[in-house]
Amino acid sequence: MVGHRFEMKIRSVRFFVIPAAILVFVTAVIPLIVLATSVIDKADIFSVWTHSSVRRALVFSLWQALLSTAFTIFLGVIATWHLSRYQFFGRRTFIALVTVPFVLPTVAVGAAFIAVLPKALHHSTLAIVLAHIFFNISIVVRTVGPRWNSIDDQLIDSARTLGASPLQTWRHVIMPLGKNAIFSATALTFFMCFTSYGIITILGGPGLATVDIEIYRRAVQLGDLSGATVLAIAQMLLIAITFLLWSRSRSTELVLFRAQAISHRRLSLAPKCFLLALAAFFTVPLLALLAASMRTRDTWSLTGWKVFLGIQKQRGIDFNMWQAIQTSAKYALIASCIALPTGIAATYALSHRRSSHSRLSAFVILPLAISPVVIGLAILITYDFHPFDFRSSWLLIPVIHAAIALPFVMRSALPVVEGIPNDLRSAASTLGAGPWRRFLTVELPLLKPAISTGLAFSLAMSLGEFGATSFLTRRESRTIPIIIASLFGRAGDIPRTTGMAASLVLIVSTAMIVVTIDRKSHI
Amino acid sequence: MSLIIDNISFSYGDRTILNRLSLEVPTGTTTAVVAPSGAGKSTLLRIIAGLFTPSSGSIILDGKNLSLVPTHLRSIGMVFQDNQLFPHLNVYDNVMFGLRMAKTEKMIAAERCRDLLNLVGLSEIAKQSVATLSGGESKRVALARSLAPSPKLLLLDEPLTGLDSELHDRLALDLQQILHATSTTALLVTHSIPEAEIISDSIHRLQTTVDIVPDGEKK
Repeated sequence: MVGHRFEMKIRSVRFFVIPAAILVFVTAVIPLIVLATSVIDKADIFSVWTHSSVRRALVFSLWQALLSTAFTIFLGVIATWHLSRYQFFGRRTFIALVTVPFVLPTVAVGAAFIAVLPKALHHSTLAIVLAHIFFNISIVVRTVGPRWNSIDDQLIDSARTLGASPLQTWRHVIMPLGKNAIFSATALTFFMCFTSYGIITILGGPGLATVDIEIYRRAVQLGDLSGATVLAIAQMLLIAITFLLWSRSRSTELVLFRAQAISHRRLSLAPKCFLLALAAFFTVPLLALLAASMRTRDTWSLTGWKVFLGIQKQRGIDFNMWQAIQTSAKYALIASCIALPTGIAATYALSHRRSSHSRLSAFVILPLAISPVVIGLAILITYDFHPFDFRSSWLLIPVIHAAIALPFVMRSALPVVEGIPNDLRSAASTLGAGPWRRFLTVELPLLKPAISTGLAFSLAMSLGEFGATSFLTRRESRTIPIIIASLFGRAGDIPRTTGMAASLVLIVSTAMIVVTIDRKSHI
Repeated sequence: MSLIIDNISFSYGDRTILNRLSLEVPTGTTTAVVAPSGAGKSTLLRIIAGLFTPSSGSIILDGKNLSLVPTHLRSIGMVFQDNQLFPHLNVYDNVMFGLRMAKTEKMIAAERCRDLLNLVGLSEIAKQSVATLSGGESKRVALARSLAPSPKLLLLDEPLTGLDSELHDRLALDLQQILHATSTTALLVTHSIPEAEIISDSIHRLQTTVDIVPDGEKK
């Protein structure tokens, strides 16, 4: 009897995955099925590839993603090694500096690179690659860091006593131990760069369009939904392959290492210089953004800020910034309220059901494997008939933001949830705590780091989300990233300066939210 | 291949861990340094291996001062307290590691590796993952691995700590025989006098931050 009741409790935990599953079904699975079955004109399956713009987009997506990934991994691996193994002045700040960009709004970072680069490079592959490095080094630090951080110093010492030179130690011990994590960081970085949309919207240009941009252009500007869908599905297949490789490895948890585990070894001069240069790479674009937001027509002026704050009217700029801030904040809060409990509950369920673990987690993490642009397009097509005409509902956007944040919430919660020893639960039970008391008094306090990281992720993801939102936004409820993109799409100095000011505000507020809420896991 | 430790001192911050320590390990013998926990035994071994730099004094192996020689070129093997087997390599590849680093010819390396696995009685499980090994087996792999590149000197850091008493005694005897069979010059640090008596030819006592007191030759 007792055994039976215990079995029931364990089984009921499994149902915690249901809210997340519904979220993924509504925002990804159903729309994708509708997308794949309803709008494709069979002729387009082949003919869409004959458009030169499509071929160019495909080649450019691939080429810039390969280039960006190669540089990101190379620089990221060097930075990660030093961050995970050495103590130095300003280490905590440095970790925050390299890891926060991952959650920064893509369009705003694009604007920062416009601000820092000379005009000739504004719409160039170099600018795109640099912005991608800025974003994705964080992936390397977050995935490879914990792995290397856990290597015992003595293991490296033992390699040295066996005659391995520093280089041989790298090749035969350090790299093999970080291999899986580096592999998954590579796959995730490639995915992020290949489906880059916000960055390309700002830094791209003629001949510099990715597949996502081409999907948007076909669907929205050319009205070629069928062609856009063929592209979307082809891209999804390619990403699914990358994604499968990624999820095969378990070292994909987006956690950071603990400070107390690091060695007392001091950095030598060369790595110090490297880290200093990297710190400059992360700060200079933001400083340039600040400077650029205060320059109009080559003179110092606060026009951009005045227009941004609504103090000064400018012909052609018709948004209400306060309303945009309100909209963004409202969406971010709602998205977090959905993503956080759903994600943590699902993680809880998954950690109790190890046998079906990978299948279930692959399913819930599905939104990560699909580019937000494709989700936006699929939802646009799916929910436009009675009684499912959700497109007109403002709630749709935060729900999608929640789905996009869900995989990140889960990835950061999984190691924390799994880190709670089963014996601790048993100990609480033997002391008379029922399942709920046990959860509230023992597990919930231990889940705090997962909750704060998840909250930071979901707020930041929603504040910066651009891909899906750009399809579904309405004039009266535009978010800040949408407004930034539209400002940069306009000619003239003032819209641009205003865009710079808006970008800076968005970057600073996102970074502050993440650093404040998630302070513990950034140490 | 004698080892001379000449007036070695080592401090960590304000704390003096070793103070003008001198000791000689004659060629082909096993010398034990016995000391309580925290007396700086492991530090001494790390200094000899070149993993720590002493604040003064020198380490002389075969008449050569090792002060400027990096760890990997010292030809000093070390068995770590908790073995430190490479988790990504199986038993065979762990033993092969040092031979690979030295770029030993494949046939010779493979033969040496097989011989050593036979010597420590693990040839049956050569292809097993090190994660599946018992405490005693791990220790034997660690020993075979450090002997494989034929080091001039072998350092043993509390090699039998954490093993149950029956296994401990058996392994102590095996260790003594293996070191003897391979005529290895070895320096053992331990807190256990009985262990030192079984394994080593001579015993020295190390007291906290004080010089080594010779305990006389073992019979």
